[in-house]
Amino acid sequence: MPDSIVSPLQKYHEKNGAKFIDFAGWSMPFSYEGTLKEHNLVRTDKGYFDVSHMGRLEIDISYIEKLSNLICSNILDLPDGKALYSIFTTTDGTALDDVIFWKFKSHIILICNAANHHKINAHLEDQKIKYTDLTRDTALIAVQGPNAINAMSDLIEIPDAFSCLENDTYTYARTGYTGEDGLEIMVSIDKLTELMEYLDVKDINPCGLGSRDTLRLEASLPLYGFELTEEITPVEASLKWTITNNNEYLGSGAIDEQIATGNHKVLKKFVIDSRAIARTGTYVKAGNVNGIVTSGNFSPILQKSIGFILFESQPQTDLIVFDIRGKLIEGNILKKRFLS
Amino acid sequence: MTEKKYLETHEWYLLTEDTITLGISDYAQGELGDIVFVTLPDVGQEFTKGDSLVEVEATKTVAEAYAPMDCVVVETNAKLESEPEIINSDPCGDGWMVKAKVINLDDSGMLYHEYEDFIS
Repeated sequence: MPDSIVSPLQKYHEKNGAKFIDFAGWSMPFSYEGTLKEHNLVRTDKGYFDVSHMGRLEIDISYIEKLSNLICSNILDLPDGKALYSIFTTTDGTALDDVIFWKFKSHIILICNAANHHKINAHLEDQKIKYTDLTRDTALIAVQGPNAINAMSDLIEIPDAFSCLENDTYTYARTGYTGEDGLEIMVSIDKLTELMEYLDVKDINPCGLGSRDTLRLEASLPLYGFELTEEITPVEASLKWTITNNNEYLGSGAIDEQIATGNHKVLKKFVIDSRAIARTGTYVKAGNVNGIVTSGNFSPILQKSIGFILFESQPQTDLIVFDIRGKLIEGNILKKRFLS
Repeated sequence: MTEKKYLETHEWYLLTEDTITLGISDYAQGELGDIVFVTLPDVGQEFTKGDSLVEVEATKTVAEAYAPMDCVVVETNAKLESEPEIINSDPCGDGWMVKAKVINLDDSGMLYHEYEDFIS
């Protein structure tokens, strides 16, 4: 096994007493003082996440038509200065990766999952899309929470929601993965100190990937490798709202057919009225429709167990039964979001 | 005076006369992270050495605490049902999980300094 890649923020993580996990070939902070504490900090105040493990590619705007052929969303009509969540599809219409684009006048920044970074690079090369890989020359820091925007406003101009800006030092967008307002900020490694000192002065504290996962789950957001895989289409993952590309794109035939027939797997949210966690891989039944838990954890805000289930087909009842290590536990399918 | 003994599976037990009190070690709670739920056994339930006695759910993963010897449960820490986080804050004190009457004594656990060597 080669050594794990360490983040450009490693010395800060060590100073802050991080516990590390290996994730997609990187050694990243899992938590500092505890996942629940960090979760609540982001829900009630503010915190920052080091997400430098995520892939960051700069693509010249001249490749936008070629990019459009590979994703299910309408990037061609996206105004300059806007961010877009979308999905790279396979020929079968399943998800190769879910990504964020930041569109600028002359170029696009593509942010992909760390686990899919090499796959996306190869995919772009296959399609003759040239890119500059910025991942190892920059850091990516997400500042999130209801007080995040206010706290960052002395450093940078604040963009509108789902918009992006850049200056000589920072390239950033008002996006995130926690359900809270905030910014995701890319900075070259040689200019990182100024940002870290600013976070320190503003009392914006570090949070680990453990709380990033509980926050995204509670915010009803999918995670690649769980709710989205090369076996699952955006239609099946309840991400039909991302399908806005009106032109043909890779796998669009399969996706259009799923929409037309309704004949496909279905991702649902669930809640269990207790703290018994139904983890990834737990078998579920809704009447006679079988499902499997893709992600499940404890919701610190609801104080209940929540998660996602992938059912073989549309269940006809909201009452569900989990087989948690041999014990049958009842739960409910939830139609709205976990947090209203 | 008796002192706590530790198992390779990261439980501690304290033997007093014919009863053991059991919990998980500080190292174990640190590795698990935030504990959000525990499934405790019923009073009167019998366990053989190595049986799963308690299920501990943390945000990161689920773990089990195993019976260090054959025993029968006489009391469980009911406080943990509403405040499982006590296991994080005081794993070797208020975070105890089960008291059980010994059926077959097996006092082969490690002393603390031996356990410290084991986990380092």
